[in-house]
Amino acid sequence: MAARAQVASARAAGLSLLAPARPSAPSLSSLMQRIAAQDRAAFSALYVATSAKLYGVILRILRRHDIADEILQEVYVQIWERAAYYDAAKGAPITWMVAIARNRALDEVRRKKPLSIEDAPEVMRMADQEEHPLDRVAKRQELARLTQCLDALDSNRRDLVLLAYREGMSREALGQRFARPPATIKSWLRRSLLQLRDCLDHDRA
Amino acid sequence: MTERDEIDVLAGEYVLGTLEAAERAAANVARRRDPALEAAIAAWEARLDPLADGIVPVAPPKSLQAQIEAQLSLAPLAPLVRLERHARRWRRAAIAATALAASLMLAIGVRELAWRQAEGTYVAVFQKDDASPAFLLTVDLKTRVLSVRPVAAEPPAGKSYQLWIASEKSGGVPQSLGLIERTAATTQRALAAYDRASVERATFGISLEPAGGSPTGRPTGPAFHAKLIKTDG
Repeated sequence: MAARAQVASARAAGLSLLAPARPSAPSLSSLMQRIAAQDRAAFSALYVATSAKLYGVILRILRRHDIADEILQEVYVQIWERAAYYDAAKGAPITWMVAIARNRALDEVRRKKPLSIEDAPEVMRMADQEEHPLDRVAKRQELARLTQCLDALDSNRRDLVLLAYREGMSREALGQRFARPPATIKSWLRRSLLQLRDCLDHDRA
Repeated sequence: MTERDEIDVLAGEYVLGTLEAAERAAANVARRRDPALEAAIAAWEARLDPLADGIVPVAPPKSLQAQIEAQLSLAPLAPLVRLERHARRWRRAAIAATALAASLMLAIGVRELAWRQAEGTYVAVFQKDDASPAFLLTVDLKTRVLSVRPVAAEPPAGKSYQLWIASEKSGGVPQSLGLIERTAATTQRALAAYDRASVERATFGISLEPAGGSPTGRPTGPAFHAKLIKTDG
């Protein structure tokens, strides 16, 4: 139970980081409840609070603004339509929303031929300038634990997981990056995922 | 690996995004039927979610918010339903529709179940979601009589459903086929003004309009569309 309470407070801290200028803004959870009842004002507030995060996630995977614009629209319409099915017991609203955004972006990027990195030089620059992502909000306990478990993997396995999750890289693209055949990438992924699961679930058991 | 490991690796790769297109499509279908896979996916989404915090937020173009909010009124209704790809589901839906409204099949003159209908009968289903058809539309191309039967489709107070056809004849511009006044019975319309070929290729629409119908002569409210599919082929 103590672990759960810590998770909840870490989530609350994350939310205040999201909208620092609006300390009294309603929580995403209460917005979700109102959106489920078709409250458009609540939807607008949710959009303002979360769209830059979701757009960043989508753009990182799709690398093209025109496609990202379309996908963001679909994602928010889907959030509106599915709000009534959101189950607070299964996770924070932002986790649910990020999952919708990533799934939609990944469906799109897997359907299409892989884009050349040259198609999006601004994304490359962005990635170069970015501070190490794991330093950014290391205060969050979930992230701290995830970092710990990722660090327990071999260094290139950790990068493998990060590149897949953040950049939406396919096994083939990862194979090129690590100069390994896709079959090797597949077996690295298997072992890394199982090791990660066991490490992350260990404390909760 | 144990069975649980297999599921967790599949779910983990799904969430990471490393499944290939075909594997991903299969997982998208499988997760709806397999609660264990769905739960494993949710667990990975929660485990890996902190990684999304490392991604630099990017403000989307300002115009997107208005564009998105303009689409929200569509939400309670269904998007375009392409029945060519949903024939099997439609059959299930037709059975469900029969159960929901036993008079339905008789009312529209379908004495056999839909997939055994007489030649020349075409059907389109306007669905609210996967489980419940909201409107069942049939067209007998020989007599060119259109029948539309709402199922579980009550318009909000002060609103009417209006039926439209967009065909080659009108250059693709929707023409009103009148209001669907009664939600508990079949509405029939003669399509005598349209030739067989253009009816066959037409897009039909049902829009939600102010009571009494569209003030402009064009669909103004949220709408959904469908094309006809042959039921006997």
